[in-house]
Amino acid sequence: MTEEKDKDEKEAFEKSSGKTYSLVEMVKAPLTMVDKGPDDSIFSFPIVAIWEAILFLGMMVFLIGFSLIKDAPLEELANPLITTDPAKAPWYFMGLQELLEHMHPFFAGVALPGALVVFLLLIPYLDQSKAGIGRWFTSERGKLITKWSSIYAMIVFPAFAVIDYFFPPREIFRDVFPSWVTQSLIPVTILVVLAFLPVFYVWKKGEGKATARELIIALFTVMIVAGFALTIIGFFFRGPGFEMFWPWDMPAGYSPLDNL
Amino acid sequence: MTENQNKTKLSRHQFLGIAWFGALATLVGEFFAGLLVFIQPNLEGGFGGIVRAGKVEEFLPGSVNLVQAGRFYLVRNGEGGFIAYWQRCTHLGCSVPYEEEQAAFRCPCHGSVFDEHTGEVTGGPAPRPMDIFPIEITDGEVFVDTGNPQERSAFSDDQIAYG
Amino acid sequence: MLRNNPLVQKLVNSSVWKSIFRHGWPDNPLDRSLIMTQNVFLHLHSVKVSKKSLKATYSFGLGLLTTFSFLELTLTGILLMFYYVPSVERAFVDIVELQTTVPFGQLLRNMHRWGAHLMVIAAVLHMVRVFFTGAYKKPREFNWIVGVILLLLTLGASFTGYLLPWDQLSFWAITVGTSIAGYAPVIGPPMQKILLGGAEVGQESLVRFYALHVMVIPTFLLLLISIHLWRVRKDGGMAASEISDENEAA
Ligand code: HEM
Ligand code: FES
Repeated sequence: MTEEKDKDEKEAFEKSSGKTYSLVEMVKAPLTMVDKGPDDSIFSFPIVAIWEAILFLGMMVFLIGFSLIKDAPLEELANPLITTDPAKAPWYFMGLQELLEHMHPFFAGVALPGALVVFLLLIPYLDQSKAGIGRWFTSERGKLITKWSSIYAMIVFPAFAVIDYFFPPREIFRDVFPSWVTQSLIPVTILVVLAFLPVFYVWKKGEGKATARELIIALFTVMIVAGFALTIIGFFFRGPGFEMFWPWDMPAGYSPLDNL
Repeated sequence: MTENQNKTKLSRHQFLGIAWFGALATLVGEFFAGLLVFIQPNLEGGFGGIVRAGKVEEFLPGSVNLVQAGRFYLVRNGEGGFIAYWQRCTHLGCSVPYEEEQAAFRCPCHGSVFDEHTGEVTGGPAPRPMDIFPIEITDGEVFVDTGNPQERSAFSDDQIAYG
Repeated sequence: MLRNNPLVQKLVNSSVWKSIFRHGWPDNPLDRSLIMTQNVFLHLHSVKVSKKSLKATYSFGLGLLTTFSFLELTLTGILLMFYYVPSVERAFVDIVELQTTVPFGQLLRNMHRWGAHLMVIAAVLHMVRVFFTGAYKKPREFNWIVGVILLLLTLGASFTGYLLPWDQLSFWAITVGTSIAGYAPVIGPPMQKILLGGAEVGQESLVRFYALHVMVIPTFLLLLISIHLWRVRKDGGMAASEISDENEAA
């Protein structure tokens, strides 16, 4: 490239008839590693390989150790005529099964989990800003939102489960309202309102300046913590007949840990 | 070919491209359609067929009898009519045991309770009454078609079979 | 230094070694680059990494932990296949026999079971960390999508494996789980039937779950994990490398 041509942009990347490809356009965009001193990055080999080996070995040591201490459960041969009491799903579905206690299976098993997955898939497109990328909680505000949303969800969702257990609209209004009101409308509305309250609060408090990231942090935190709380309740606090008990005070010799 | 034709009509190049692509899409489509048919379960034999429950006299009026081979309860009411409830809970599929003291079916999974005479829900999360199987009574014998469970929203008298 | 050892020199210079590795002893920039680009496994990494992304408190190594538990499960799972027959008559007996008569059988089963739990926990925590570090943002949107699918596949693998011991625990857990699927409008009931191979959990369900568990889901997991890791490199390494200095000061 001569200096002469450099001045004239159009001629800078002359098309060569001898090539089947050509540079068509230059785009201004940061390179990933741009402006970083050479000391910011290091050769992956061998340091990354060593860390990976250590992590793998650590995991194997942990797994083998745990497997020596605790055996995987095995009950009697499957019998389609007799249902175990309680009949629980695997622990990672106990949050779902707990929800099933409180509303129509379509909402607990299909609509709400489906909405959760759709929300997860949409996150990167709802939050388009690049601010705070790679930084835990993005900002101090993000950290506060995460903290208070967690505390909120940790209190509110167990409370929902317990109150609904002792005063289920389904039974109280069994012959008063049709079941779509007591099993779908009421519990779903309560749950959705509870999930969106922190989002609404962040939005209101931000006076229009709350970022999409902040709103999404509130919603994501509530969902994860709610899932966690309901899983704990379903796994540890539900016993025979799927009634609520203290985990250490289960009747009929049942232990929640048998279901692992 | 004039310039104009060239723009509105497909070039041979484009046509072949589309044809090849179409053939590929057809192949993939056929594969998935075939797959869908292939994995359809074959529902014949054993449970799912017609089960002979026994002679009419074997079942006392007002009794609840579990017929294990057919996974159903054969209930005979005071007037001598029969109804067959599938043992499977309409909530999430657990096997529902009969509780003599409560005169009801009570599911251990999430505590749904079903009335013994009608199969209707009197408690718990089940969304509809217990499913029933059609009953045929010929020559004093009760036959139950377990391949054909009937969902219903409420009990009605025509669900009772008389011999 | 190891490389100055005459034996090592001989090995590294042998034509067999050279035919396999095609680069020298990796103690200089050129060979440390080549070892990454010339090795199909190491090739998943970039040649150089940002120091920030190596900080343990950035990623907690959770994605790696998920990957490693997948490898561990593949290994123990293949071994289990040597003793397990997916038939209603044999499945339960095979498990009991594995535990009582096969050397290390109980240990193997335990490691597969607890490894599965570990993988679910690690994948969920990995997603939580990716979310809170904002690592799903441009240009990593697609890798987040791949991640969500991986999470669902991980749950699917665990769920299908749960039926295989054919004990009361598995039978009723799968009965309840598949009944939930039946509540989806329109596609629910046929989906439940296809999954179970019948109206109820039975022999057909066991074979179907087995095929899904040992072939279908692991294949897709392997494929998507490969894409996932490849994309981490193609998206410019982990998001931590993009923390700018003003950002840090803020
Ligand atoms: C089978 C499950 C999964 C495996 C094996 C896996 C593996 C990995 C690995 C090894 C990394 C490198 C960084 C690290 O170690 O943290 C990574 C990064 C990443 N993963 Fe996953 N992952 C899985 C599931 C998920 C899920 C559920 C999500 C989110 C929904 C996700 C989204 C991402 C994203 C966006 C990155 C880039 C992170 C960054 O640049 O800092 N992955 N994954
Ligand atoms: S399965 Fe019977 S109450 Fe849920």
